[in-house]
Amino acid sequence: MNSSNGNGSMSTASSSGAWNGRDQFPAGLRVLVVDDDQTCLMVFEKMLKTCLYQVTKCNKAETALSVLREHKNEFDIVISDVHMPDMDGFELLKHINSEMDLPVILISADARKQVVMKGVTYGACDYLIKPVRIETLKNIWQHVVRKKARNTF
Amino acid sequence: MELVQIQRRLVDYTKSLFMEGFLDAQFLQLQQLQDDSNPDFVFEVVSLFFEDSEKLLNELTIALDQPNVDFKKIDSHVHQLKGSSSSIGAQRVKNACIAFRNYCDVQNIEGCLTCLQQVKQECYLVKNKFETLFRLEQQIMASGGSVPTIELGF
Repeated sequence: MNSSNGNGSMSTASSSGAWNGRDQFPAGLRVLVVDDDQTCLMVFEKMLKTCLYQVTKCNKAETALSVLREHKNEFDIVISDVHMPDMDGFELLKHINSEMDLPVILISADARKQVVMKGVTYGACDYLIKPVRIETLKNIWQHVVRKKARNTF
Repeated sequence: MELVQIQRRLVDYTKSLFMEGFLDAQFLQLQQLQDDSNPDFVFEVVSLFFEDSEKLLNELTIALDQPNVDFKKIDSHVHQLKGSSSSIGAQRVKNACIAFRNYCDVQNIEGCLTCLQQVKQECYLVKNKFETLFRLEQQIMASGGSVPTIELGF
């Protein structure tokens, strides 16, 4: 799954979307990470790969949305920056929540309470402040399990 | 200079960067991510940051030079710079961005101009620091040694 165009680009670590083998969990967790800043995106990708997750990165929200629409059920969780040109993290979150059943984590350097509040009320399962430490990313699988558990009961 | 001496110099130099506030704990996170499969990771990320920050600083200079200053645009650029600088542990750049945003919030052009100079200065300073750091690392590798890791307990 590799595509690039003039408007946005994405790249993925592996072409197989399948995650099986519960004993390896959370290794292989399929993460889509969205950030328009390439420095941040590079750091996130490396951290997530170090967590043994399967990482796909996007630098535009619109690209991320089309990837999610085209490859439904091939992702476990989305991590998105809040402040992005064109479509921002809140809008992406709204689309994802209305169209699919994926946990979304918002990330920002903006720690102002009203912005965090907005993220939470819009339905983000977590809101992380940059810079994000790898220890935090090691725990994101909990959101996937929690969401699945809620859907089951 | 002997390998051991260069290694010692690198450790001392890195520690001084933390003491002087140029770097914070996030930089250690980056170093921990570097491994044999990705031996130039820190160098690549830092280089990417300076590539991006140069563009952002140029945009900010142009934006503040307009007859009608677009503070929303400026805030957006500064916010991005704050995020990326914090991601590599460039603490003083990040702090300069925080001050910049405060002036932006109250639409104080003079304050913004001063902050822009400040941010440019901090980027310039930390860039030089990184260059020295990487040069020392290269010297160590060229002598067949390994780069010592820094403990945060100091």
